[in-house]
Order: sequence, then C-alpha cells, then structure tokens
Amino acid sequence: MAYIDQKKYYTNDAVTPTNANWGSYQYVSLKDIISNFLLMYQGNHHLVNNVNRYKILFHAKRAIQELNYDAFKIIKSLQLTIYDDLKFVLPPDFVNWVKLSLFKNNVIRDLIENVQVQSATSFLQTASASFTYDADDNATTEESALDTARKNGSLKSVYLRNEGEADNNSGSFDFDGDDIYNSRIGARYGLNTETANFNPTFTIDRKAGVINFDSTMANQSCILQYISDGMENGNDDAVSVNKLFEEYVYAAIKYALLNNKFGVQEYIVNRARKDKSSLLRNAKIRLSNIHPSRLLMNLRGENKWIK
Amino acid sequence: MINSVRNTVLAIINKNNYGYISPADFNLFAKQAQLDIFDEYFYNYNRQVNEENARVSGTGYADIKKGYEEVIDTFSVTAQLTQDATNVYTMPTDYYLINKILCSSGGTFKGEAERVSQSKITLLNGSLLTAPSTNFPAYTQQASKVTVFPDTFNGANDIEAQYIRYPLDPKWTFSTIAGGAPVFDQSQADYQDFELPADDSNNLVDKILQYAGISVREGDIYKFASVEEEKENKQE
Repeated sequence: MAYIDQKKYYTNDAVTPTNANWGSYQYVSLKDIISNFLLMYQGNHHLVNNVNRYKILFHAKRAIQELNYDAFKIIKSLQLTIYDDLKFVLPPDFVNWVKLSLFKNNVIRDLIENVQVQSATSFLQTASASFTYDADDNATTEESALDTARKNGSLKSVYLRNEGEADNNSGSFDFDGDDIYNSRIGARYGLNTETANFNPTFTIDRKAGVINFDSTMANQSCILQYISDGMENGNDDAVSVNKLFEEYVYAAIKYALLNNKFGVQEYIVNRARKDKSSLLRNAKIRLSNIHPSRLLMNLRGENKWIK
Repeated sequence: MINSVRNTVLAIINKNNYGYISPADFNLFAKQAQLDIFDEYFYNYNRQVNEENARVSGTGYADIKKGYEEVIDTFSVTAQLTQDATNVYTMPTDYYLINKILCSSGGTFKGEAERVSQSKITLLNGSLLTAPSTNFPAYTQQASKVTVFPDTFNGANDIEAQYIRYPLDPKWTFSTIAGGAPVFDQSQADYQDFELPADDSNNLVDKILQYAGISVREGDIYKFASVEEEKENKQE
C-alpha cells in the first residue's frame, strides 16, 4: 500500500470515517504481509518455493493469532448491562478474559472470579428419577436449582451460616430473639477469599459462551476487558499486525512451511525455528517499551532523599 | 523470416526436384515446428531456473533465463474474460497457459486469484481462516472455464486474465506461379510470419526438415536435421 499524505492521514479526505487512518502507520495489513512474503521469501531462488498462497495465508493468520494470545497484548473492552438472567454473552471475537469490572456510580470496581460452580444444566426428572425425552430423543432440560438459587439470591456460602447472620448495623446484640454472638455457632470457619468482598462475583462458562453473575449483579453495568485473536471476525481487510512484529510473522510462516515440507534438511528447519523464536523474543522486548530514559528515571528515583 | 526458412528448407531437401514440398505441406510442417519450439521454451526456462539455483548461470549477457522470459512474454496477453454464469468465466480460445487471474469489483482491482485444484476447493471454501475472500480470491478451472471464488465476483467486467497465448499459425503465401514455382507474396491477407525470434530460424529449419524428411521418406534428411538440432541444443 502506498504511503498516504498528511491530509489523508488526518482527515481521510473527508470520507467517513474520517479517523480511519489515525495510527495506521504502526500496522502492516495482512494483504501486505502476504504480498511481501510472496515477493521476498518465496520463489525460484528461495528456500520456500511452489507453495500455494492459501497455505501462506493460513500460517500468517496463525502467527498473528499466536501473537495476540502471547505477546500482542492489545486488549479490547466491551460494556454491557446485566439483566435478570445474570448473563453476559461473550463477544464474538472473545478468546480469553483479562479483567471484569462493575461500573457503578461512575466508579470502576474490579470483580473477582468465583471458582465455585455457579451454573449447571439440569435434566427434567420424573418421580421415579427417570428422564423425559423430547421428539429428537434428547433428554428434556430445565433450569437447574443452582441457577434458580443464584438468580434469586438464595445461594448461600459454605463458610457462613447465612440464616444466623446478624445485621451489623442493628446496634443491638439481639437477633431473632437470640444473642448475635450465637449466630456463628455451627458455622464453618474460614474465608472464601474470592467471595469475601462486597462486589458481585462471576464464573465464566466458556462452553455456553456466557459469564454468569450472582444475583447482586442484576441491572448493573459490566465492563469486560478481553483479548481477541486479531482475526477481526473474518474481515481480512481489518487484520493487521504491528510493524514491531512484522519480521516475526515472516519467520513464522517460513518455519511452518519448511517444517511441513518433505525433504527439507533438518539444519534448515532448525535455522528457521531459531529465527522464529528469537524474533518473537525480540518482539516481546520491543513491546515491553524499555527505553533508556525511563530506566534512567527509575534509577534516579532510587537515590531520591525522602524528606 | 518464413520465406528465408522455406528457401533454406527447399535448398536442402529439394535435390533435383526430388524433395519438393508444396506450400500447403510447408505451412503444416511450419506450424508443427513452431509449436514444438514454443513448447520447448518453457522446459528450457525451467532448466535455466534450475541452473541458476545450482549457481551455474551468470548475469548480464549470460542471463539466459532473461532471454527465455522475453520470448515467452511476447506471447503474453491481458484480456477481459467473458462471463458464462454467475462466477464462471470463459478463457479465450488461443490461451496456452493462465498466468494470472485478476479480480475487480465495481471497477476497483481487489486481488489476484489463486489457482486451486478441484480436489482442494471444497475444503478451502469451508475453511475458517483461508476461505477465498475479496482480498484473496481463488479460482478453479474446468475445460476452458474458470470459476472464481468468492462468488461476489460476478460482474461482466470483474475478471481479467493475463495468459500466454499460442503462437499464430505461420502461413507462407503466394499469388502467382513463375516457372512452375509459386512466388512468395507477403501482401496476402492470410500471410503470417513465424512469431518466434529470428534466432530460432535454425531450429525451425531443422524441425521442418525432420517432418519433410519423413514426408518424402528420406532418412538422410531426417538424420541430418536431428543431428543439427542436437548440436543446437547442446550449444544452448
């Protein structure tokens, strides 16, 4: 792709979206990567020869996916409101989550994952414990008791004897005609750290493609920060890679092709593998943004006298 | 060039009018010879590539591959393909091999389509990562028709091909006969010279002599032409 002039960069020549080119110089498009690879690394006098373009495309996309999982660290955010079903449907390009937050009263509160099971599938059972089946001979399902309890807020903790909990703000030692200090009698001691805070908790059901919350999350706004695989929902036009990783992508394609080709000498495959690994390491170092000036600032800070 | 080739052939073969070949026969042999040599260009080109890879080829004037490329490129044609069905287009009748299929949409060039074998195209279309797309289209070939994927390329002017065509059939023409022999006349409408470079006239003479030698059942001519051709090939 040709370089663009500054007017096009800043205004996109008044074509909507006018911000389409902002920051674009950091990236190389997938199309450019494939063209460059075909021109520079594939041909009669190169190690890679007579390879279908779709194979190069496959390995290029796989390299970009791996970068996104491992080194790229470009995090997307999505804010949605949780309704009565207490579900947050995972975005279509979701691969893994980074952080989940509750946005309440203009404050962002980090949520903690509850590793205990929060949702289950339940088969409809008759009085004799046998299942019922639908027209396709699949067992009929119903909302599980666990889900019902979670949604209506009656799900209790194994660590607390919830029915004996006193209201700490009551200002009285009396609770239900009993001393509040008796409320702990019979309770299991200890702390379930993931639920020991004021905020709602959640569990990610990857198979179902949802995040399940406890009942306190109803009608609350939630922000999901997640990583994608960079495939932009299959839109090849939008797939790009930072220039810091460009060389790695070429090396990864070359290695994948040579490694899968019959009759390539092992030392050539090894060379390609080492190229790939070292370039990935380089890319990660580049991305860590360690500049001498920043390092210097930190070192100076070490000797600062605190008065 | 065609007249000089014919004169040379007749000079060699036509001893005492024993080996005279008629213009019609000459044209047949000439066509066959030209096709043979045209075909050899691709094999020779491949051999040169291998020699370059083996580092036994030079650069500059020693770049033989470049010469072959130049000759092959004289037969290069870029043409719009005629639409046959939604995403099916017909190749021109004179194509020898397809080099590139270029896809456009709404008059804007989108990408070069890649040839995919019939055995792979179903899998490729079903692939999440590598299914043909506007940026990376693909095509399959069936007889002289190409099917382009994705089928969003379906406009009458969407597909263009850059291909190598067959050389035109050479035709030695005449209008009058003098002394019992036809007189060469290149002003005839159906006149067609050889399309190969002048450098190939020796090869053409050798090839035509081989065919003519067999035609007149003259083993000496065939042997002579074959030996000559072999010498040429060794030199190359």
